[in-house]
Amino acid sequence: MTSTAEAIEDGVLGARLWFYSNYHCNLTCTYCLTESAPGVPRRELSAPAIVAAAEEAAEMGFTAFGITGGEPFLREDLTRIVARLASIAPTLILSNATVFNARRLRELAALEGLPVQVQISLDRPDPDVNDEMRGPGNFAKVIDAIPKLLERGIGVRIATTVDDPETADPVEMERLCELHRSLGVPDCDHVVRPIIRRGRASGGDLGRGVAFEDFEPELTITADGAFSTPFGPTVTGGRLDTDLLVTRTTSPLRRPAAALMQIAGEQSAGQDARIGIR
Amino acid sequence: MSAAGTSASSAVSLVPPDQAPLLARPYYAGGAPSPIVGALAHVPELLGVTMAFVGAALGESFVSARLKEIAILRASAVLGCHYCVQTHTVVALDEGLDRAEVRALCGEEPAQDAFGEDRERALVGWVQELAGQRGPLDDDVQRRMTGCFSEPEIVELTVVATATIMLNRFCTALGLPVSDATHARLRAEGLA
Ligand code: SF4
Repeated sequence: MTSTAEAIEDGVLGARLWFYSNYHCNLTCTYCLTESAPGVPRRELSAPAIVAAAEEAAEMGFTAFGITGGEPFLREDLTRIVARLASIAPTLILSNATVFNARRLRELAALEGLPVQVQISLDRPDPDVNDEMRGPGNFAKVIDAIPKLLERGIGVRIATTVDDPETADPVEMERLCELHRSLGVPDCDHVVRPIIRRGRASGGDLGRGVAFEDFEPELTITADGAFSTPFGPTVTGGRLDTDLLVTRTTSPLRRPAAALMQIAGEQSAGQDARIGIR
Repeated sequence: MSAAGTSASSAVSLVPPDQAPLLARPYYAGGAPSPIVGALAHVPELLGVTMAFVGAALGESFVSARLKEIAILRASAVLGCHYCVQTHTVVALDEGLDRAEVRALCGEEPAQDAFGEDRERALVGWVQELAGQRGPLDDDVQRRMTGCFSEPEIVELTVVATATIMLNRFCTALGLPVSDATHARLRAEGLA
């Protein structure tokens, strides 16, 4: 067993390796951690780099992959990348689900039978309130996309981002849960998470400030280096945040993995009060 | 210029404390670190190994700090590294070199004249040759050095001088700003 596999088994390191496939997005959400928008620098990871890292990760003992951004499905080669990754290990893609036109839906046939889930952002049960933070028409597109993905055998998870999950209106939350159940997404595939005060959310008093200890260490590969969590490679004021940077080197993968294990191992025991935002 | 800033001629910014990467955090525990650390923090995986090497090469060891500062300051002056000359002028004074010696090491040849001891004269000439010439070192310079120092001392002083040359080019290429504390000390010493 490799030292990484042991660290994963011991809970020192998360079992999922994350990739930031790109930073651009068709939306411009008010709380976006990466200040994503249509015109921002794309910071794309190349397909060969993603696949090579995934292959190395599997040898090292990682057992799942995640792809986030930006909006990953804006990449023309995303489905091919996901097909390759999911042939190695279960793969989760974080998406706003507003870009599934007929062509992209057709391409998803390549993922048939593979362990693929798409995690879709849906924040409120009412279109007007939901779209305040995510942009006009968002709600309708998401509601339209979910059954189409499920029909094609793609697993769907719902991620709800609220200012503070503990003070969220329980009646509104229940209506949201009824909505996702009606769309075919069970409660076990619904996560509620707080707005993180980084990126576009860092200016006001939205959400909560966080530190390294708040997140389970999950190695996250970007075009700018390796980070300790997918909540790390954020962009604030147009500049990449480096406070959760592990190494600039991402290949060979064992180098950032060893560095993250060292950092995580140095944390004192008992620091397990983490934010449940996976 | 604080360690968190950038001078007009800097090629890179210095990583500010609130952006210190995880592996760099120990170096920021006391606030903004030295400009060398602030620059290296852009590539955190190089920071620990580089600073460990520099610390071992230039820090306390079986060769006296005075000899090391003679080698560091002379190499820095020959290489024309503004950052290292300024910074090590302060360190050299702290290690007991007098102003005339410091001025001679920072100035033009022959810097040996400021030193009375054979060993120190040999060292100054040897560092000058090492830092300033291409190709093999002059036989006479080498002979004087081997006549004054043991083999372990020569190896250690070679590491000191070559590590300094690496830092000289690093600091000069990146245009690192001399720290506020060094400026203040040089002003106080009348050496600014
Ligand atoms: S939060 Fe997601 S969907 Fe919204 S702008 Fe950012 S990347 Fe795009």
